[in-house]
Amino acid sequence: MASDPTKLQKTKDIGIPSIAMCVARVPNSGRLIFGSSDFKLHEIDVFAEKPQPTTFGGEGHQSYVTGVVLTAPNIAVSASYDGQLIWWDIEKREPTRKVKAHELWIRRLVISPDGKTISSVADDMQCKLWNAETGEMLRQFSDHKPITPHDFPSMLHAVTFSADGKFIATGDKVGHVAIWETTSGSKVATVEAPGLYTWDPKQRRHSIGGIRALAFSPDNKLIAVGGIGQIGNIDHLDAPARIEIFDWQKGERKHELNNDKFKALVEDLVFDPSGQWLLSSGGAGDGFVTFTNVETGKTIHQDKLPMHVHQLALNESSDTLFAVGHHKIVVCEFKADPPPADPAEAAKS
Amino acid sequence: MRWILRINFAALWLLTIAVASNGAELPSADLPIEQVIDQFVQQRLDAEKVAAAPQADDANLLRRLMLDVAGRIPTSEEAKGFVANGSAAKRVELVDRLLASPDFVWHQRNEFDRMLLPNKPNDGDFRKYLLWAVKENRSWEAMFRDMLVGDEADENRKHALTFIKSRARDLDDMLNDTAIVFFGVNVTCAKCHDHPLTPDWKQHHYFGMASFFSRTYVTKKNLLAERPFGEVKFKSKRKDDTKGEQTAKFEFLTGSIIDEPVVERSADDLKKIEETIKAAMQKDDAPPPEKPAFSPREKLVEVALRSEDNRFFARNFVNRVWDRFFGRGIVHPVDQLHASNAPSHPELLDWLTRDTVAHGYDLKRLIRGIVLSQAYSRSSEWTAGALPPESGLFAVAKVKPLTPRQYALSLLIATHNPTQWPLLDQAEQWATRREQLENASNGWSGQFEMPGENFQVAVDEALLFNNNKRVEDEFLRDSSDRLVGHLKTLSDNQAVIETAIQSICSRPPRDDERTTLDEFLKSRSDRVTAIQQLVWVLLTGPEMRFSF
Amino acid sequence: MTLSRRGFLNAAAVGATGTFAADMTRLDTLRHSAWADEVKTQGKRVILLWLAGGASQLETFDPKPGRPTGGPYRAIPTSATGVHISELLPKMAARIQQTTAIVRSLNTKNADHGGGAVIMETGRIKDPGIEYPDLGAVCAKELGRLDSAVPDYVSMYTSTEGRRKGGSGFLGSRYAPMFLSESMQPENIRRLESISDLDHQDRLALRDLLAKKFTQNRHSDSLGSHTQAYQRVRGLMASEKLFDIEQEPAEMRAKYGPTQFGQQCLIARRLVEAGVPFVKVARAWWDSHGENFETHRELCADLDHSMSVLLDDLKDRGLLEHTLVLTFGEFGRTPGINSSLGRDHFAAAWSATLSGCGVRGGACYGKTDEDGHKVADGEVGAGDLFATILTALGIDPNKEYHVGARPVPLSDFGSKPIKDVLV
Repeated sequence: MASDPTKLQKTKDIGIPSIAMCVARVPNSGRLIFGSSDFKLHEIDVFAEKPQPTTFGGEGHQSYVTGVVLTAPNIAVSASYDGQLIWWDIEKREPTRKVKAHELWIRRLVISPDGKTISSVADDMQCKLWNAETGEMLRQFSDHKPITPHDFPSMLHAVTFSADGKFIATGDKVGHVAIWETTSGSKVATVEAPGLYTWDPKQRRHSIGGIRALAFSPDNKLIAVGGIGQIGNIDHLDAPARIEIFDWQKGERKHELNNDKFKALVEDLVFDPSGQWLLSSGGAGDGFVTFTNVETGKTIHQDKLPMHVHQLALNESSDTLFAVGHHKIVVCEFKADPPPADPAEAAKS
Repeated sequence: MRWILRINFAALWLLTIAVASNGAELPSADLPIEQVIDQFVQQRLDAEKVAAAPQADDANLLRRLMLDVAGRIPTSEEAKGFVANGSAAKRVELVDRLLASPDFVWHQRNEFDRMLLPNKPNDGDFRKYLLWAVKENRSWEAMFRDMLVGDEADENRKHALTFIKSRARDLDDMLNDTAIVFFGVNVTCAKCHDHPLTPDWKQHHYFGMASFFSRTYVTKKNLLAERPFGEVKFKSKRKDDTKGEQTAKFEFLTGSIIDEPVVERSADDLKKIEETIKAAMQKDDAPPPEKPAFSPREKLVEVALRSEDNRFFARNFVNRVWDRFFGRGIVHPVDQLHASNAPSHPELLDWLTRDTVAHGYDLKRLIRGIVLSQAYSRSSEWTAGALPPESGLFAVAKVKPLTPRQYALSLLIATHNPTQWPLLDQAEQWATRREQLENASNGWSGQFEMPGENFQVAVDEALLFNNNKRVEDEFLRDSSDRLVGHLKTLSDNQAVIETAIQSICSRPPRDDERTTLDEFLKSRSDRVTAIQQLVWVLLTGPEMRFSF
Repeated sequence: MTLSRRGFLNAAAVGATGTFAADMTRLDTLRHSAWADEVKTQGKRVILLWLAGGASQLETFDPKPGRPTGGPYRAIPTSATGVHISELLPKMAARIQQTTAIVRSLNTKNADHGGGAVIMETGRIKDPGIEYPDLGAVCAKELGRLDSAVPDYVSMYTSTEGRRKGGSGFLGSRYAPMFLSESMQPENIRRLESISDLDHQDRLALRDLLAKKFTQNRHSDSLGSHTQAYQRVRGLMASEKLFDIEQEPAEMRAKYGPTQFGQQCLIARRLVEAGVPFVKVARAWWDSHGENFETHRELCADLDHSMSVLLDDLKDRGLLEHTLVLTFGEFGRTPGINSSLGRDHFAAAWSATLSGCGVRGGACYGKTDEDGHKVADGEVGAGDLFATILTALGIDPNKEYHVGARPVPLSDFGSKPIKDVLV
């Protein structure tokens, strides 16, 4: 293993003028494309001596950019609260295609492992699959009620592909997760995580929380669901960051993890390719990053980050993370000490 | 604040105490208080050619005295006993008995409580202090000192400081409430600027008073403390102001200024002191801060009580006590003790003030004098014309709404089986009983509104009496310990009517009541229900709701 | 029932009317109100939708789309030309021109819940020396009838956070709100089962009869209020059904929808229709220090729907021209977005709305700067807003109450109505 979560250290801390909501990384580089609260896409090379974001031009989005993926070496697709998907020429930093994708705000955009399909979820409670190349909608499905049991509009924040691309999971505000077969669009399982949704029936009479992050384990067996635990005072994100891990095929909950250190919202979840640890990140006032042993549910290592993190990207060897969030971009490394006599490692560095 | 007090300091007070504010010579200090009251009240009635209402009858007077001095209505035995008593001295004897009774202590405690902590009623510790102070017959002067300066180390007196502590978060609250309660002056209005038309009430008066409180704070451990330094700065909010920022002096309402001795402190010293204060405010385990050599609150008490400056403190005391018994101050409203709000009876106020100061602010002495006066014991009925003369003539007794506590206690007493009270001579038993009643009245007293100026009974109260289960369960229950339980054992309608009215209204029934209620009872086949209705009708009547 | 019992009832009823008339004259002299004023305010009512905790002006009536402070939601055009509001209020957007005026330039200076609430309840800053009546009590006094058989100030606040009853201050308990918190059924309004309706009437009548002798020669306004309070009991009990939305057709209930706020708006409509002059419906709790946008997504949906249905319903019944519907709370929210994607307390530049009675629909008064940090044009305070409200209702805001020797105008000293939003 090239990574060692206990070696986590922050290597870059870059201020940005807006709130970065999403990020995609150009492979084998420090080039990040991130979408922002200024309605724009930006590119930044975090490994540059003086990293400076460059802003994409043209007629772009009309609201917060909440999802970005790279579909080809020079093509990015972004999603926004404005309901649009926009295809971009990265080099020219110009839009090439716009698709009115959803009636309401798009909350998340992900790409299949083979790069051919992208999937968006929005507050119209629909999950839609798109041909990454043509922009054609392939299918849509939903197992999410538009109204919460408490008669308020629900929200659909989270979507993810399995590592082999066979499955898609979607998770909504009240803690309902549906798992779908990508090719047919048929629902194959559901999982309930109501502990992530706080409804305050008396004191403040509205809700907070919901599923904000989903991730399949590399072997597809597990699904991790992230958000925030039950909040007493829902004016604030005032509860432990919470993750539930399910063996979804068996319909069993394997772990229910309330972070003992950070009161925060889990905004993103990433499994280590070997399936040993699960990385979670997010924030409230500040941000955090936590590595959890998937088998035992124990925390391997965790630390504070200087901002509320909205999304992560990992490098190819899964030993460096790129976090974007509240007016900051942060890079952290967690590399294992190289074994001294390993020529391959030596060559790499 | 755009409205301002008009105070003419020069006209407020003359120091020569034998002479009234208007220059007239005051009657001898040796006269009984009640005689002086009646003399001055009558003088004004004569001058205005008004004939006062006749004296209230014995039953009415007893009920009024009991409510005013003991905080409750009499039991039916007490009422019957007083009316039957043929002695000429019975009123004086009753007043002296009541003033020495545990009833007085509880009631006086409750009255102090609602005056001193109106927004934080029933603070247990503060009430404990008040009870102790009343029992000790502690003078108002001493109580003032207990509340403003206090002594955290003294078990009995330390909770008096709740008066300041409960307001310590807000400088305005401390200074306004102190000025209103102890000096009868509402200074709020001078906060923003001088009044353009009233040259003698300036902003610096307000901020002068503020400076006595500005150093006060409460530590994390809830101890009252004062900073050793700190100034109050103020600026006029008027656009044409040319003075700019000014520093307030320690200036009392009379214009007297207290000088603070100059203390040189190094920057290091200052820093250390600030750190100690910060620690005391934030940490539970910080040592209590040292008492500063110069304490502005101590100085305020000193200046307010010294003879050349005590006119606000003394007159306010007299005026507030008077207001409590007559339902109207000699100066009214009671927080408007200033020259443009003239007293109804200036010489009387002067005489009573002189008497009070001379006798060490003895509350019982003043109360005794007031309630023995003829002015106090007039009827509350006005039959001489369509409308009574203005209230400042004290020609007719005022109808006063009961405080929640008086009402609750009185309801409990009225609905109790009248044969089950301790006898009048069983003083110790009564003391225990009174304490039980006091506790039992807590719940009910929370149901009623505290009367203020222009008090109106809310419809909620009428709905409560009409439709609340607790009213039925507690006041109309027919178990043997209750009035209804006793009444249902009486077979004669007249006996029922007489007992019910005696218990609830402290008097025998009138003829028209006998007839009406007899007819009512006869018309009903269900006797217990009928008795319950009858009791309800009397309990909800105005005679029960008001002191009159 | 026997004849003599009937006799009680009748005798007392006659007596009651007599006493009552006498009280009316006396109390009326305290009101200083000329006949012309009475006509102007006749039949006027108010529904205050109190957005407790502080709703964000940026997610409601003063959006700043595309600005760093603007948040993710777009601004949408309304039926009033040139006026845009947040896309979270699409139903209200369709009604602005017809019903609603927006004031975007409130600067109320106090961004503390308690202090802000006092300012927005009474239209002035707290004064330790005097207890001011809140808007509801002032309207109850100015618009209500002393002998009203319905309550004249009903206040609903069911959430517990920041719950405030409001109060009538120096106007006295006669104008205190009937306060509904735990249940929508007013306390003690229903007769106990242990007493028959006839007995209940009879004992009240007997009470009045006996009380008359006492009140005859005693003169006190407090005493008069006691008599009146008991005389209003039966009328108020009869208004019990006003609080029961089951009395409405299913179709009407469905229109207002299933949320508690919606249902309370329906109760408010029933109340004003029956002549209640002031109803406050508090919708708590908007204090979105975290997740401002998600919170507003929920609460604005509730507000948008309930308020639109309420305005439509009032209009359909011909009540809207006599009924003023208001929205505001203790303050607005910061333009700055904190790291929990929340907005904090903010009183320097925020919005209120007035709809219906006396209001120029589609008017949009005042401006905030491009990021919403400050009022750029037409700054007004709580006093001005209150003067506007009173003027819309035909009440002279300069009319004075007298507290002791002290004159207190209905809206704060120096305040002026915002003419641009009035017809």
